Amino acid sequence: LILFAHAGGLLGRADLPIPEWLFGWAAAMVLFVSFVALAVLWPEPRLERNRWRPLPGGVGRVIASRPVEIICGLLGVALLGVVVYTGFRGTQSPAANFAPTFVFVNWWVGLVPLSVLFGDVFRAFNPWRAIGRGLGWTAARVVRGGLPAPLRYPERLGHWPAAAGVFAFVALELVKSEGDKPETIAIATLVYSAATFVAMALYGVEAWCERGEAYSVYFNLFSRISPWETRDGELGLRPPLSGLAHFKAGAGTAPLLAVMIGSVSFDGAGEAPIWTGIAPDISRFFQDRGLSPEPAFELTFLVGLSAAIGIVYGFYRLGILGARGVGGGFSAERLARAFAHSLVPIALVYVMAHYLTYLLIRGQAILFLSSDPLGHGSDLFGTATKQIDYGVIGSEATWYWQVGFVIAGHVAGLTLAHDRALAMYTDAKQAIRSQYWMLAVMVGFTSLALWLLSQANT
Amino acid sequence: MYYAHAGHWLTGIAYFVPVIAFLVWLGVTQIKDRRGGSGS
Repeated sequence: LILFAHAGGLLGRADLPIPEWLFGWAAAMVLFVSFVALAVLWPEPRLERNRWRPLPGGVGRVIASRPVEIICGLLGVALLGVVVYTGFRGTQSPAANFAPTFVFVNWWVGLVPLSVLFGDVFRAFNPWRAIGRGLGWTAARVVRGGLPAPLRYPERLGHWPAAAGVFAFVALELVKSEGDKPETIAIATLVYSAATFVAMALYGVEAWCERGEAYSVYFNLFSRISPWETRDGELGLRPPLSGLAHFKAGAGTAPLLAVMIGSVSFDGAGEAPIWTGIAPDISRFFQDRGLSPEPAFELTFLVGLSAAIGIVYGFYRLGILGARGVGGGFSAERLARAFAHSLVPIALVYVMAHYLTYLLIRGQAILFLSSDPLGHGSDLFGTATKQIDYGVIGSEATWYWQVGFVIAGHVAGLTLAHDRALAMYTDAKQAIRSQYWMLAVMVGFTSLALWLLSQANT
Repeated sequence: MYYAHAGHWLTGIAYFVPVIAFLVWLGVTQIKDRRGGSGS
């Protein structure tokens, strides 16, 4: 918890020419101008069109071929094995063991920009999918008469299992005492693996990965921003963001995104006086009711995390209620699902802005941890003596990158919501008016993001 | 203690001025629209 959470403030406050809050106002102005520009220059839905073209020369078929898929899957399984092995057998010092840095930094955070840049990378390397498919393939040949057909995935479950899985992960990271202890990570990995294989056996590997498997859904959402998409075994290109326009939101999608945004918000607010001021009081409240300090501390952080997620979800629902108020005959639930995809770029920039220095600085540790994964003094690849370069990015550059990410992500969210509104409403004026509320949501999330970053930089 | 931190609180609130102002404007506009609609 101490080493891997509250990662936004690895660098101190930047020496800026204007107060940080003025950047918030400037960002809001950019959003207002973008909104007007969209209303004038984007009169019909564009992202909803189904545009995709394969890479020339059959390259897309080679990249998405079965041998490549098997090699990537095996690599993913090997990494899963390394995490479990190092977790149990390595030193229990989080900073000196491969598992915590790999899981919390390089995989959980690092794969987010990779998904945006290169598409659904995790799908190729997903160890659970690889094992599930491998077992299914083997069982179909061993069992007489073949395997029974999987159950139909219940619509009412939607993305709820994924939301629960992501919540469990962030709770391990931000709530659990010693959640970054290697052995804890190894146990959590095995428990999650067992649950995933049971669900895959019930509903089928692909169906579970598409809707229920937390990390497949999490990274797939980010990959939909990218222009890369595989169709019928061939890699091709689509307009950026259009993958999100074709995303099927269901039950639990908006709560999943609230977990994604709210957990980063809580991590940022963890350093703010608003939280550090009341957390001891909440903890004391639980201790007065008989809890020992450690569970009271964990429960306090669970309350804080849940409250942050609830606030994010509540603010989104407020915007949806406002949009419903302009007419059109859509239910609040229908609108909440229809515009949920516009939160994905916001979730992206929350991760990128908040964990930028964490990824660039702490992420370097994987170089020496790969050579000495157990922390026992080995030097497998000759990189065990490498050190972290803390000068890789300056505090001022960090702030400008963070502000840039926040603005770009919210403009992207606004664009997605605008495009969807044009596709839904028959009256263009009504579509624009419904977007006043989404603009308020975007400005609110922008303000929150920059305020959180300012707290982390304090 | 709370008064001593007033500057800090004010700086925090300053971040949210654009969204608060916009929400107030939206709310007022929507109420006016409804009143206008029911009046006609």
